[in-house]
Amino acid sequence: MHSAADYAWLIPVLPLIGALITGMGLISFNRTINRLRKPVAVLLLSCVGAAAVISYAVLFEQLGGAPPVEHLFVWASAGSFSLPMGFVVDPLGSVMLALVTTIAFLVLIYSHGYMAHDKSYVRFFTYLALFSSSMLGLVISPNLLEIYVFWELVGMCSYLLVGFWYDRDGAAHAAQKAFIVNRVGDFGLLLGILGLFWATGSFDFQGIADGLSAAMSNGTVPGWAAIALCLFVFMGPMAKSAQFPLHVWLPDAMEGPTPISALIHAATMVAAGVFLVARLEPLYAQFPSVGLVIAVVGAITCFLGASIALTQMDLKKGLAYSTVSQLGYMMLAMGCGAPVAGMFHLVTHAFFKAMLFLGSGSVIHAMEDVVGHEPVLAQDMRLMGGLRQKMPITAITFLIGCVAISGIPPLAGFWSKDEILGQAFNTFPLLWAVGFLTAGMTAFYMFRLYFLTFEGEFRGNDKTIQSELLAAAGKSADDGHGHHAESVHESAWPMTLPLAVLAVPSVLIGLLGTPWNSRFAGLLNPEEAAEMAEHFSWGEFLPLAGASVAISLTGITIAVLAYALHRIDLGELVVARVPTLNAFLANKWYLDAINEKLFVRGSRKIAREVLEVDAKVVDGVVNLTGLLTLGSGEGLKYFETGRVQFYALIVFGGVIAMVVLFGALGGPMT
Amino acid sequence: MLEFAVSPPFDPQTVGIPATAIAAGVPWLSLSILFPIVGALIVPFFPDQGEGKQVRWFALGIALITFLITVAAYLDGYDPGVSGLQLSERVSWLPDLGLTWAVGADGLSMPLILLTSFITALAVLAAWPVTFKPKLFFFLILAMDGGQIAVFAVQDMLLFFLAWELELIPVYLLLAIWGGKRRQYAATKFILYTAGSSLFILLAALAMGFFGGGTPNFEYSVLAQKGFGTGFQLLCYAGLLIAFGVKLPIVPLHTWLPDAHGEATAPVHMLLAGILLKMGGYALLRFNAEMLPEAHAQFAPLLVVLGVVNIIYAALTSFAQRNLKRKIAYSSISHMGFVLIGIGSFSSLGTSGAMLQMISHGLIGASLFFLVGATYDRTHTLQLDEMGGVGQKMRVMFALWTVCSLASLALPGMSGFVSELMVFAGFATDEAYSLTFRIVIDGLAAVGVILTPIYLLSMLREIFFGKENSELVSHTNLVDAEPREVYVIGCLLVPIIGIGLYPRLMTDSYSSSIEALVNRDVVAMERITQPTAPLIRSSPIVSTLIQAPAIPQA
Repeated sequence: MHSAADYAWLIPVLPLIGALITGMGLISFNRTINRLRKPVAVLLLSCVGAAAVISYAVLFEQLGGAPPVEHLFVWASAGSFSLPMGFVVDPLGSVMLALVTTIAFLVLIYSHGYMAHDKSYVRFFTYLALFSSSMLGLVISPNLLEIYVFWELVGMCSYLLVGFWYDRDGAAHAAQKAFIVNRVGDFGLLLGILGLFWATGSFDFQGIADGLSAAMSNGTVPGWAAIALCLFVFMGPMAKSAQFPLHVWLPDAMEGPTPISALIHAATMVAAGVFLVARLEPLYAQFPSVGLVIAVVGAITCFLGASIALTQMDLKKGLAYSTVSQLGYMMLAMGCGAPVAGMFHLVTHAFFKAMLFLGSGSVIHAMEDVVGHEPVLAQDMRLMGGLRQKMPITAITFLIGCVAISGIPPLAGFWSKDEILGQAFNTFPLLWAVGFLTAGMTAFYMFRLYFLTFEGEFRGNDKTIQSELLAAAGKSADDGHGHHAESVHESAWPMTLPLAVLAVPSVLIGLLGTPWNSRFAGLLNPEEAAEMAEHFSWGEFLPLAGASVAISLTGITIAVLAYALHRIDLGELVVARVPTLNAFLANKWYLDAINEKLFVRGSRKIAREVLEVDAKVVDGVVNLTGLLTLGSGEGLKYFETGRVQFYALIVFGGVIAMVVLFGALGGPMT
Repeated sequence: MLEFAVSPPFDPQTVGIPATAIAAGVPWLSLSILFPIVGALIVPFFPDQGEGKQVRWFALGIALITFLITVAAYLDGYDPGVSGLQLSERVSWLPDLGLTWAVGADGLSMPLILLTSFITALAVLAAWPVTFKPKLFFFLILAMDGGQIAVFAVQDMLLFFLAWELELIPVYLLLAIWGGKRRQYAATKFILYTAGSSLFILLAALAMGFFGGGTPNFEYSVLAQKGFGTGFQLLCYAGLLIAFGVKLPIVPLHTWLPDAHGEATAPVHMLLAGILLKMGGYALLRFNAEMLPEAHAQFAPLLVVLGVVNIIYAALTSFAQRNLKRKIAYSSISHMGFVLIGIGSFSSLGTSGAMLQMISHGLIGASLFFLVGATYDRTHTLQLDEMGGVGQKMRVMFALWTVCSLASLALPGMSGFVSELMVFAGFATDEAYSLTFRIVIDGLAAVGVILTPIYLLSMLREIFFGKENSELVSHTNLVDAEPREVYVIGCLLVPIIGIGLYPRLMTDSYSSSIEALVNRDVVAMERITQPTAPLIRSSPIVSTLIQAPAIPQA
């Protein structure tokens, strides 16, 4: 009797087959396939849907206590080296499988509405299926190297999708930046994997952890080297999960279509870094100092993302920095030695952040009817406002998302975030303080987004703001096709249905992870769950939880006062008094500027100089030799006397010289 | 010198070639060398109306049959599990000179023979639009096909030298007649560089053949048995390194390549990048690593360092290049750096990686250069500044470019990733070098992993992304890729992705030969008691090498 887990390999393969069919079709019969929207959508939806069904079967099997399943085959070998590949299904993987397939399926439905007017609809669906396949492959990878393979593939899909509207300069730039920043992380990851392979002779997670501790105890690998390798590996998650200072690509990646931002840049791919750290838990658990580094990086990211989100006027960028911040929380949990808490936040965050992004997409889609297909206008909250009356479903789901992410019980975000903060409080109190402060900021900026977008008066038809925004972005207003609608309207069912579906887990899923009876922890780590339930006391839980709720409420209150009731004017209160702070945040801590100056221009300059050297010096020597030969040839021709004896003399001299040379150097072996 | 003339007939038994190895069946290799050459000789007499419309079909047929012959050779007479020479044929040619027509194939040459006939067939297809002197063009391409297979198949160093030299002439003519504006300069530079450097091959061949007195004999199997002194080996090694270093190319001997590649037409380009560069790598493995193992043990660290220089230096110059062809040309140099590191490593994993990198780059480089040619046919410019937004009109072309660039930047699932990974992993676990040296080299080589996407993706962005360049659109006709072009790229992508998904498809065909080669080098390493550079070599050389590479099973 085969279990569902034995067929888990089908989960990434099914979307891949779908993507291949449509992809090949696009290359070969471009026009025909582009017209077959419905069949393509149905095909890919059924592929991802079937993958989702298997994923849930696998998840329920694991919930029922089935043992992990692993299947391997030899992929590459040379000498005594052999490298297995295959797939593994365990509780951690099965949770991710269910999560990824669910959100991918909903995003596919949503895209049917969102991309309806796009002429590259089929290409978009193909990329989406390709991404789902790579992401699912990553989840079931049994070793680091296979993870690296899929890690790069999801990066490639992200590149393709961010640059989907390739006629936009912003998208082109963002796609390239995303790929290269991720490659910087992968550089570390690759070196780390190689180093760990050298140290332990293994690529699989448990093997590395055991091998490294064995190698350290018998002294073949010094302690500093082991720590360095762990940190190198951590560079990969830093880039993929947008941790400081490699987070710079994620906000720019919002140039991609919004369904992508929801699926890749909020729910799944960016969480892959967190997932990898969770996978490597047996390795990282050995080194408290590495844990500290991870926790500090997470805390910095968490604070940085939230602080920048405070001043963002672009709806999607605001959400993007919020994602950065939330990923920081997850990393903080990993660093505190609480992977279960981090994974739990990953799951809850995936649901409500996907919903928020899809909601923002719904808003942008509606705004485009009014202000045209110009992201500078359609995404700017200064032109929104009052959308709740016109778009009730979007508004309500967005509000649910805001409450969830702010950490108000009993919605999802409360349970997961509170668990992280509790763990941080016990491990690194200072970092807890950072996370705690960030929780307040999160509540504030999320409700700021909500009020600016959905409440107040609709400002979309204000031409002065429009022209100001365009001028600030350095674009000229084109009035060529100014026949836009006057007001917005709610999106069609393919877009609102996923919002409504996602609202359910955003509200309820947190209840699976209550600290006194955590089903989630029970699945991932039964011992820890039992311990948690045993040590749970209301006396410890309530003060911390109460404090988090209190600071969230404070943030919400400020947002309400400033943006709903207009009782306080933050512009006057903060911006006027400390303009440097505002500028600092509005310029994203100046990190992009530093990046541009130091790395982008620096590398261009070095490259130009090297090319200069190549052309002038290295090739110069060659050309000079050529000239000299010409010159010497001119001189030598006077030696061509035509007397054979003279030539013979030269040849004879040469032979003698060679004989002497060889005699001196080698001599026959005996 | 006369005493050489009365040498007894060569007896294969004495040098360890089992008599059965000299196959009695079809002489596949000789056939694959001679068939395209005979075909080339027919080309001038082939009826054609002058536009090349008929002769190109003929050339394609010849090239395809040659490919089929090599495939048949692989299937019929080649056993991947055997490390020694197979498919061998011997005909005494000029016994006075010790010259024999000896061909054969082992793991080092068989994959490259297949690659050669494969890429040449595609190059003929890529040469479809050639209308200027088509007969001469296809004559040269077919002649080159045979010559290049000969380079990989011959088992006699003098013959090797002849084949190596003969193959230069078609390249020279192809460059000088069909090239770009500066074709004369490029062709002259090419011929001077390569002909000049191949003088070292002749010198080394003569020295090695005459070594030890007695009958001069240039057969590889005989040369490999001669116990050369270390000093002699070092001298020969250095000479050969220069000769092959020009071909590979190794920085700073590379400056002919951007010029030659920058001026060549697309099909020539494919051959240059796909096959000619591999001759350098093959010869380094065949002669330097296999026949001069003691010298190789001394020189290997140098190869590794040069490999890293290649990777980083060429990646940077490629990034700064504004000319599309020269950009890709420099990227080829950068990729060849991995071959050098792999050859310099004393692990079968690393050396296998070098071999795979040659094959992989042969495919990927050919595809990129083909696309450069196809793009130039439409835009009529190679300057990146004059392009932009081309992707609006040429969607399929954009897709092909993207896939090939991703292959070139070693995306997993494609062959480039596997080969680079094998080189990385092989070198990282290579106990012949000290830990510090390995860390530094792997770290620097990995910088290439960051630099490659920088120049390739910014190139894509400048060509295809963004708003359409109105000036370009106004005076060019940007039609999308035609089926022939999609087909050529498709043919190249099948092995690229196939190897990427399951590398043993390729590695199994040569792994036993590479293992034998590496074992030979490792034994030579042990014999060298004094390390040349204590900083680079790890001190307990002998003890670790005996079990190296001892990798615990996962």
